[in-house]
Amino acid sequence: MGATVSDTILNGPSALAGHHPVGVSTGIFEDLRGSWQELVAEACKVSTYAIELSALSEDELPGLVAYLAAEPRLPFRYVSVHAPVKDRNLDEAAGARVLSELPLWVRSIVTHPDALEEPARYRGLGTRLVLENMDDRKRTGRTAGELELVFDELPEAGFCLDVAHASSIDPTMHLAEELLDHFRSRLRQVHVSSLRGHHHVPLTADDEERFARILKRCRDVPWILEARPPDWWLAELKATRLIAVDEAAIA
Amino acid sequence: MEAARGIARLEAATGTRFARIAAARSLTERRLGERRERFGAVDVDAGATVVLMGSWGRREVTSESDDDFMVLFEGPLRENAQPAIDRVADVLGARAPGREEIFGTQVWLEDLRGKIGRDEDTNTNLTRRMLFVLESVPVCGEEAYLRARRALLAGYLEANVKHHRPPRFLLNDVIRYWRTIAVDFESKMRARKGEGWGLRNAKLRLSRKALFAGGLLPVFECYRYPTGDMLDYLDERMSVAPLDRIADAFVDHEALDAGVRALTAYDEFLAILDDGEQRGKLKELGAEGARDSPTFTRVAELGKEFEAGLLSLLFDDPELRRWVREYIVF
Repeated sequence: MGATVSDTILNGPSALAGHHPVGVSTGIFEDLRGSWQELVAEACKVSTYAIELSALSEDELPGLVAYLAAEPRLPFRYVSVHAPVKDRNLDEAAGARVLSELPLWVRSIVTHPDALEEPARYRGLGTRLVLENMDDRKRTGRTAGELELVFDELPEAGFCLDVAHASSIDPTMHLAEELLDHFRSRLRQVHVSSLRGHHHVPLTADDEERFARILKRCRDVPWILEARPPDWWLAELKATRLIAVDEAAIA
Repeated sequence: MEAARGIARLEAATGTRFARIAAARSLTERRLGERRERFGAVDVDAGATVVLMGSWGRREVTSESDDDFMVLFEGPLRENAQPAIDRVADVLGARAPGREEIFGTQVWLEDLRGKIGRDEDTNTNLTRRMLFVLESVPVCGEEAYLRARRALLAGYLEANVKHHRPPRFLLNDVIRYWRTIAVDFESKMRARKGEGWGLRNAKLRLSRKALFAGGLLPVFECYRYPTGDMLDYLDERMSVAPLDRIADAFVDHEALDAGVRALTAYDEFLAILDDGEQRGKLKELGAEGARDSPTFTRVAELGKEFEAGLLSLLFDDPELRRWVREYIVF
């Protein structure tokens, strides 16, 4: 990775792996889809600092709502929910209402700009709503200018920087820099992964080096891993997770 | 033209505008000017200064801020020192002194300077000393004020200070004060049976944390200086508001993004404090209702975001991280 001795002394053996506010998206545990208690237990094995409860398909949302309504004792300092962006049947007003009823301690409700037909309907979510930048397959929500149009409708919304999405459009990462320059005060969390054929996969060593400049600008916000952590991060991640977690502890 | 510093410097470096902080500063200056004018007709001894504390010292006065003041005198304790407390309270139109009587009283510099540590340094004495150094502003007697602040800082630097290292005596007192605030929060809430929990907790998460960080950062930054330059440096830093000291630290360590997010959170907190309805809700809120209060939940989030920026500055910057590691635990 081209690290020099002075880099190692100043930043530690792997400065990015040592990032403290880190967590995972439950979407990475595909086999456990819908079993929220088990998903949370798995997420705790990576980090107890942050979690993104992923309900990408609308049919996952009722189960998540029921799980959260039971007031589970979660150890995380930061909890976000990824709102449904596919298989949606609810109209926008009804969808926004369900999301607004999520417990107040769910800090962020992440969604895709292109999933909002009438963004103003989501204004009631206030600062809890978080917009994520899109990848090169989408026709909007990709650049600062495209996102600005949606933020104009949702002035209180936060921003989730997906580094892999930004990289799919501009591998030099200048777009990611531009997004941070525009929305730095809104930045709430970062999605971290690499992309292979538009699927989120563990961060590669090459991407880690390419993303480093961007991620160093986001040291104070949670990084949500959208794929399993790379092997060389595991030792560092031990510091942020519980020694042992069983499902009973988070029920 | 004088170079921008503090908040203005961070704004210039990032193109961000902290509108609520600017509004609070403007209100502070206007009201301070009014009070200074009123003191023109008050007898003030040579070597006396009337200082406003808290939000005044942080230059964050909002519509609901109190006039917390103390009158500080140089020289030995004496009878009939002027101005008398009643006269000052009358001129300021201040409310009755707080229950703990930290404010609204005559204070002697020798007590603040000479009684550091052990039993004679009471909780009240520590609080007055720290607030005077970290977040106060003179309403009259400015020369005495400047001499007193410098004398207090100089006192800390007499204690075995080393070149290019944080002055440990001052550092320990700043940390001790922050921990005292946090412990006393619980103690006061027990004594008051939770009355005022919401607003006090909100201030602990943001205002008090700004006070602490605004003291901690300049003390750490002393690593840049030989011992002979530390007094001038610290004196200059304490002449600006805590948020300016914090903003400068973010710029100096090239942590602009984290700085913007931390100060954006603080900016919104000031908006909440300035909103009578939201402030009222916080004032009435007990710990049992916190989880269901949108206002408190928002403040708690802002507190986390402010803290996250500060922690990133302290632990992710290679220079500061070294001093935090060496000095903050032991």
